[in-house]
Amino acid sequence: MERRFACATCVSVSWLSSGQIFLLLLVLAGCGRNERMDLLYAERCMNCHGSSGRGDGILAARLPIRPPDFRETVERKSNNQIRRIIGEGRGTMPAFEPALRPAEITDMLQMVRFLSREGRDIAWWERFDTLVIAHCNIPWETVLGYDDKVDQTKP
Amino acid sequence: MTIRSTKPNHSSFHKYLFRSSIFLLAVAFVGLASGGIAAEIQPARADRRVTRRAIENFTLVDQNGAPFTFEKLAGKVVVVAFAYTTCVDVCPLITAALRQTQIGLGAEERGHVQLLTITTDPEIDSPKVLSTYAKRYGAEFENWAFLTGDPAVLAQVWKNFGVGVKRRARGLIDHTPLTALVDQSKAMRFAYIGPSPDPHAVLADVRALLKQQ
Repeated sequence: MERRFACATCVSVSWLSSGQIFLLLLVLAGCGRNERMDLLYAERCMNCHGSSGRGDGILAARLPIRPPDFRETVERKSNNQIRRIIGEGRGTMPAFEPALRPAEITDMLQMVRFLSREGRDIAWWERFDTLVIAHCNIPWETVLGYDDKVDQTKP
Repeated sequence: MTIRSTKPNHSSFHKYLFRSSIFLLAVAFVGLASGGIAAEIQPARADRRVTRRAIENFTLVDQNGAPFTFEKLAGKVVVVAFAYTTCVDVCPLITAALRQTQIGLGAEERGHVQLLTITTDPEIDSPKVLSTYAKRYGAEFENWAFLTGDPAVLAQVWKNFGVGVKRRARGLIDHTPLTALVDQSKAMRFAYIGPSPDPHAVLADVRALLKQQ
């Protein structure tokens, strides 16, 4: 499924104009780990999951179930599965859907992926995760010009 | 032919002793420092305070969307906790401790003890959100209600219990981490302030209040 998205991105890019490619690159450039993601993670996740996602936050020891080490669990999960856990919660983990915008949940998902790769050899397909997540968040209608206003004065 | 001295080499022995001592001191220092840091970052148990504060009646909405009146709990011991569902700080520990308290109650005791979780974030915590939250903790609704309601009414309830609430951002609220024990005559008798009230201590106080009846 994820590979299909990556392929779709390549095919889409092949017939875009230079302006559209520039816009697309601009969107993709903003998809790396950034301060916004770090801040969100620090505010909402770090207390339990720890600063590097190893499940060793300051509250972890007191929770009924210890949070997982991202490096051991995240690789096996799809983006949709992770997004669902973030959005709907699990056990003592809060459901963030009522509190966060979809873009913020995507940022959290990216952070989980980034932290899960630290200190281990990553599989080749994991290198495309960022691209896959970014693909899903590209405002395609804007990039392709579908939401341009129609000039009513023209006959 | 080399001549070896039979005299023990005191200077190298002293050097060895000195280095070992330095090494051991360094190990001890690192151990103590890390222990100290660990002790510092571990959230403390809740602070238990004995109090006597009359609690006024209020009506809120429970996890099913039905009105819930505090007055109907007269004659029961009530454990009241303040928390909100998107909390990533003390609330998960408080709710988990309350669940442990509920598990620790005997079948007969459950009829005389009511647990309440009152939200500090009515903006997000609708009855549906509270219901989902409660189920994630395995809460049994037989004697545990999760309450929300009109922000003005809730503000009065928070004030009544002495809970300070400050909204930082959507889904991020600073509030007094209070778990309170209210007796049969609706007076707050014990206040556990902190992230992790000890369920055994809460159960002991609950039983002491039940005996007073």
